[in-house]
Amino acid sequence: MRAFYSCEVTYPFVPQHVLDASDSVRASLPNKYCDPKVAADLYHETLDEYLVADDLGLNVMATEHHAGINSLIGSNPTFLGMIARQTRRARILSLGTLISLRKDPVRIAEEYAMIDVVSRGRLEIGLVKSGGSEMASNNGNPMRNEDRLWEGIDLISKALTHRDGPFSWEGKHFTHRHVNIWPGPYQQPMPRLWAATGDPRSAAECGRRGIINTLVLRGPEGTKKAWDSYKQARREAGLPPATRDMFGYAAMVYVGETDEEGMRIGSKILWFLNTSLKSAPQMSKFLPGAAPPEAAPQIYRSKPKVAKTGEATKMMLPPHQLQAVESKSAAHNAAALSSITAEQAVMQGILFAGNPDTVYRQIMEFQRRAGAFGNLNIIGRSGFLTHKEAVKGIKMFAREVLPRLEESNDVVHDIAE
Amino acid sequence: MTVGGIEIEVLCGGAGKTALLMHGFQTISPKAQFLSELARHCSYFAPSLPGFGASKRPEDFDTIYDLVRHTLDLIEVVPDDNVTMIGFSFGGWLAAEAAVTRPTKLKRLILVDPVGIRISDRETRDILDIFNVHPDLVRVKTFFDPQRCAPKFDQMEDAELVTYARNRDSLCLYTWNPLLYNPQLKGWLRRINVPTLILWGACDGIVSPDYGRTYAKQIPGACFELIENAGHQPEIEQPASFVAHVVGFMSDA
Repeated sequence: MRAFYSCEVTYPFVPQHVLDASDSVRASLPNKYCDPKVAADLYHETLDEYLVADDLGLNVMATEHHAGINSLIGSNPTFLGMIARQTRRARILSLGTLISLRKDPVRIAEEYAMIDVVSRGRLEIGLVKSGGSEMASNNGNPMRNEDRLWEGIDLISKALTHRDGPFSWEGKHFTHRHVNIWPGPYQQPMPRLWAATGDPRSAAECGRRGIINTLVLRGPEGTKKAWDSYKQARREAGLPPATRDMFGYAAMVYVGETDEEGMRIGSKILWFLNTSLKSAPQMSKFLPGAAPPEAAPQIYRSKPKVAKTGEATKMMLPPHQLQAVESKSAAHNAAALSSITAEQAVMQGILFAGNPDTVYRQIMEFQRRAGAFGNLNIIGRSGFLTHKEAVKGIKMFAREVLPRLEESNDVVHDIAE
Repeated sequence: MTVGGIEIEVLCGGAGKTALLMHGFQTISPKAQFLSELARHCSYFAPSLPGFGASKRPEDFDTIYDLVRHTLDLIEVVPDDNVTMIGFSFGGWLAAEAAVTRPTKLKRLILVDPVGIRISDRETRDILDIFNVHPDLVRVKTFFDPQRCAPKFDQMEDAELVTYARNRDSLCLYTWNPLLYNPQLKGWLRRINVPTLILWGACDGIVSPDYGRTYAKQIPGACFELIENAGHQPEIEQPASFVAHVVGFMSDA
């Protein structure tokens, strides 16, 4: 089991009455509410946490979000560039740069290659689909977002692996007639790819491409569905069976000395869900393309009209649309998560918190239900959880839990099959 | 019917001179009052554009370029050599783009609160950012009397809501960036060579009457007229006044 520590550098210091009065705490909240001097402290603290993680055998990861209290990492390559020089051993996972929202994937390939070379081959490249308020922040068309993502991945992959001078790319979404990056990546042929996805269809595509598939806060049932789809897609494509190292799971994790301490401090991470997800309807449930049109009756009505009508419509839907309606939109998921308690979060497998024994058991239990995974993405600090508490949590996890997870590889091997 | 190889739905009715209706952000409802009033004076031909209503959208058909060429196809298939094209809002943009190319069958042009050009400086939006502002604001800005005229989602049928959402998705696909205009169009409006009437809801909060006046100035000989007590969709809020303007123009021009 490999573990990756992350802190999204959240900014919880905006007065509550301002947050309450805003229809969105992302994309449209004025940046006058973010004090750059405080932000500087937060960046430094997080970088220090990454150094502690590096010293103790953990890997690190960073995630990009834009213009909101949920994250001050608006440019993942910038942040990872610092980590690349400061850490010594840790694998560095970008999870990730918002490829579908950047105008030129070749520029992203250049940034990745630089990070990989500076770190002497420690970069792993995570791909995220993006959506929600990120579309407004990046002027990105929410329609065809996924198509742009996959074409962007193809172009980045070719830019990172091509060694023989300029090549031309005239795709559906991106055009770049003279691609020739210097330097190429340190790792040959290129750094390992990850994708954070939530639905079985995307997971299947990851499976066919052999991309590490990580599920973020999906809980065991949703995760199992995605991974089953991944495994099946590989079987159908005649590819070697999926192995544990192809799967990752991102959860909020805090290890205390006691269950009480683990839960008390770990529950602070839920600020991310309770406070920082608030997003205006035009950036969430009414965002074009966020859900199929067939879901409109559930999305647009303030209350169900007549239950039977909805059922009748559902009966008429082809299977792929029915699945889309029933799997709920990202906006619905966000709404459900925003009111979650720590106990519910533990029950749902999105918070692993307690003493070392408890956290170890929670992670093993999750694997029994969802399937074995080889990569744990730790959301270790958020909201008002302090730097000091974060460092303690990193140390406790690294010393008391990680060694047991590494020893448990044989146990979970059976689960993977 | 099939137009240029694309299966599209079309609302038809009335008799006499043909008005080709180009819908706006949403397709035209067969229940719309202005439609039945218009039918007393002329025949109308109201297609749903590819991706809107029940009309198919071919996979690679996804730009304004495609829609403009499709609009030219539509003019050709209208069974009348004397076509008046009436473009509403987004459809007004397409109608203007098509008229710039001087299709031979097009004899008159009516633009109703059209979008499609940019007139202000780079930091002043001409057109409300309908995708990035709160839906309640879009509602208030669209109508003079939103209480009476805005769509009531709780009362709409499932199929109507599905169409509403599909229309919105397609509008976004075609027009996200730059939002609802072609930076080059304003300079080409001078090529429109048919009698043109520009109608504007006096209380339009999506795109202002002043924008409409500037629009009209770019088109040789165009008339500009306001419809009182109406917002972005005067045909919905003031159907009688709207139809009177249309009928008057079709008989004069």
